[in-house]
Amino acid sequence: MTQGQPLLAVQEALKKCFPVVEEQQGLWQSTLRDCQPLLTSLSNLAEQLQAAQNLRFEDVPSLRSFPDLKERLRRKQLEAGDTVLDKLEESLATLLKVRDTVSSHVEQVLQIYEQHADTISIDAVLQASVVSPSVADMLEWLQDIERHYRSSYLKRKYLLSSIQWEDLANIQALPKAWDRISEDEHEDLVQDILLNVSFFLEE
Amino acid sequence: MAPDSGLFPEGPLLKLIPLDTRDRGTQRCRLGPAAFHALGAHLGSAVKISLPDGGSCLCTAWPRRDGADGFVQLDPQCASPGAAARAPGSAGSLSLSHLRLVPCPPLRRLTVWPELREQDGSPGALNPTAVLEAAQELLRNRPVSQGHVVAAPPRAPGPVAALHIVSGVPSPDPAGLVTPHTSISLSGVAPTEAQPQPQPEVPLGGLSEAADSLRELLRLPLLYPRALAALGLAVPRGVLLVGPPGVGKTQLVRAVVREAGAELLAVSAPALQGTRPGETEENVRRVFQRAQELASRSPTLLFLDEVDVLCPRRGGPHQAPESRVVAQVLTLLDGIGGDREVVVVGSTNRPDALDPALRRPGRFDREVVIGTPTFKQRKEILQVITSKMPISSQVDLSLLAEMTVGYVGADLTALCREAAMHALLNSEKNQDNPMIAETDFLEAFKKIQPSSFRSVIGLMDIKPVGWEQIGGLEDVKLKLKQSIEWPLKFPGEFVRMGLTQPKGVLLYGPPGCAKTTLVRALATSCHCSFVSVSGADLFSPFVGDSEKVLSQVFRQARANTPAIVFLDEIDSILGSRSISKTGCNVQESILSVLLNELDGVGLKTIERRGSKSDQQGKYKELKKSEELEFQEVFSRNVMIVAATNRPDVLDDALLRPGRLDKIIYIPPPDEKGRLSILKVCTKNMPLGPDVSLEYLAAETCFFSGADLGNLCKEAALLALQEDGLEATTVKQKHFLKSLKTVKPSLSHKDLTLYKNLFQKQGFSNLEDI
Repeated sequence: MTQGQPLLAVQEALKKCFPVVEEQQGLWQSTLRDCQPLLTSLSNLAEQLQAAQNLRFEDVPSLRSFPDLKERLRRKQLEAGDTVLDKLEESLATLLKVRDTVSSHVEQVLQIYEQHADTISIDAVLQASVVSPSVADMLEWLQDIERHYRSSYLKRKYLLSSIQWEDLANIQALPKAWDRISEDEHEDLVQDILLNVSFFLEE
Repeated sequence: MAPDSGLFPEGPLLKLIPLDTRDRGTQRCRLGPAAFHALGAHLGSAVKISLPDGGSCLCTAWPRRDGADGFVQLDPQCASPGAAARAPGSAGSLSLSHLRLVPCPPLRRLTVWPELREQDGSPGALNPTAVLEAAQELLRNRPVSQGHVVAAPPRAPGPVAALHIVSGVPSPDPAGLVTPHTSISLSGVAPTEAQPQPQPEVPLGGLSEAADSLRELLRLPLLYPRALAALGLAVPRGVLLVGPPGVGKTQLVRAVVREAGAELLAVSAPALQGTRPGETEENVRRVFQRAQELASRSPTLLFLDEVDVLCPRRGGPHQAPESRVVAQVLTLLDGIGGDREVVVVGSTNRPDALDPALRRPGRFDREVVIGTPTFKQRKEILQVITSKMPISSQVDLSLLAEMTVGYVGADLTALCREAAMHALLNSEKNQDNPMIAETDFLEAFKKIQPSSFRSVIGLMDIKPVGWEQIGGLEDVKLKLKQSIEWPLKFPGEFVRMGLTQPKGVLLYGPPGCAKTTLVRALATSCHCSFVSVSGADLFSPFVGDSEKVLSQVFRQARANTPAIVFLDEIDSILGSRSISKTGCNVQESILSVLLNELDGVGLKTIERRGSKSDQQGKYKELKKSEELEFQEVFSRNVMIVAATNRPDVLDDALLRPGRLDKIIYIPPPDEKGRLSILKVCTKNMPLGPDVSLEYLAAETCFFSGADLGNLCKEAALLALQEDGLEATTVKQKHFLKSLKTVKPSLSHKDLTLYKNLFQKQGFSNLEDI
């Protein structure tokens, strides 16, 4: 087979790429898990702030002796909130790193295919066997995975950038909005694809 | 999976099928292996596809999962403007020659013009870096083509809705690949729209005048901004559309907006109502703000449907919340000042319920009244509706338009739909190309009732009676036909002879002489709306209510012309000022209402129908459709028919020409008449051979038509009684016997009274009995 060589190169690249994706997917998932409590605490803080806003301090006899209690309380709560936000920023940076790593690997594989595209016949690319999916499918999946990370990251970034301390109701709804992104984005997509290629990787 | 390589030359047809959900937003184009071979494409190569509707889109080629040939699916994320919106993957077919493999070199620089998403909350200026970032994200690793638009997925966040590819280095024509190293810059100016797609001419039957006035408002500031500024003119910004439901107010607004290429923000006023105090005002403010935002981009029309709910008349008790809303709307209407582009259009069918402050220039500058369509307008509407339907050539739209008195646009649409359904369901033989025949329309006509007629007071379902079912009275029938049927049927002749249509007809005569039956026959013979009003409809315990009801009857009848208003027993409904001098009572005020309705100064403005030029009666200029024009003029009248058996108590003012100008005496039947009445009455009766109706007719002097009917009934009952239940014929002896018991209801005294009254008024054609 004269064209076996380039096809093998692509398959080789794919074999290298998927483990990286697997590893990054673990990192991504654990980061997302870490974010969950942070968001909950942020929403709790928002609730506290709201409660403090609704309370009329001068009407409570026992609190009247602390004149600037309200301002102090607010400052403290906002500080706590900022700390949480910083942590979230860090998580976001991790997610970004995952995304970029996956992107660069996927790009490499596609480039390798591009280089050999003219020598690999389309039939060979479409050829699937019992243990391994076709190269076309795998390339497509890689693209899907990359796009998934990309849009998922983007949505989360926009969500976090929409946080404003004036809009407390929005912050209280954050954990739900975060979960909704995961649901919308088919969080299992990557996992499913990795299962599909597991035999191919073991080959 | 051996590809059939002999397939490809002049492009086999590929069936265009909708996209899988998972491929949405991927810019992929799914092809079968044969197509791959034919194109010489490999995975992910850029393919330019010319769509059947004239647009094109750029996709990357990917194989179909199932490896089937002969299909194509494409995601038009990067497509020529408008192509994506028109038909995303709708069914159709493409020839393989529509697909073209294009080289896709990486781009160094790219200039795009962002189309920004409408922001929900803050309309403030967007940060350009944020836009740039979003653009980079959207374009990453995509092949793009000059002049195309890359649309962002609808649910994705971010400020960018779409990106127009303006230019790039090297030029992305036919295609170029955006890589992470491509430097993207934003262009400040929108790419010139190559040519605004010729909008399909919006068919608006019979509303051209109203449409013109709206179009002018929308387009003037667009077309002549400088001239208007030089004249120092503030462009009118508000229009109030008035008309009954279903005449097409909303449709009109939509059509005009589409035609002018403006943005439409349609709000129904009831939807703005909130439960909390102040919520409604807040909603109103939000809507106006939204309109303002839209207006900063393109000319905008804010359409407030059913505006009477939002702005009722202020000043009544317990209406503080409503007045606050009205005040809010007023201030907002005034506050639009800065932006000339927002045109506010309100629509209502109860203009009188609106707050008067709303109806001044500067708020709603113009009021366009759209009435129930006239005959000509109905014909136009029908033409528009049926223009896309397979109508058989025998269908006469003029006839249909003539029949559909009182139908508004919505009703006509319903009629045509019903006819089409009927044609579809009833013609099994040619399911593929059904033809709508006249019978279908007639069937549908039975089912669809005009909506403006559903709430009319005194609308009657008349049992059809033919003229021939009334015995005798030949000259009365003739006179009735002359004064009512002819003007409707031969308008041309009437105009030629300089005749005007009579306003009203009074039928009087002794009781039981077929006055009501005559009217019924009249209503049957001329196809027009028939409204019958009796005392029960009119009288009410509330002061002023009866008058209101009567004038409503006339208003509704005028909306459905040609119409006949029938006042039975008019003497009991109306008083007479000349006879009873007891001062003010309800009957007198009803009389005055009636006099005014019959011969008033003019019509209320909200009852205007048709175009203005028609109303001034300029039918001479229109030679071509003269016949129709005559019909127009004559069918605009409401005719009243009154019946009484006590004409002496009627007011003199009512009896003068111009009101009830034709006074017809309906005499008790003479001998010949009685014979024909008896014939009619005994038509369904098994008469014995010995029965002589002629003899009976001679014997029954002073019998009215009702009496004769009763006589026949009695005779038949008598026959049953005497001969047992198995009686088969009614014999002469039964008639003679019942003649002894049944007494005539008329007397010589009564008849002379009618006669004298008649002579006093100077008429001279009383029939002898």
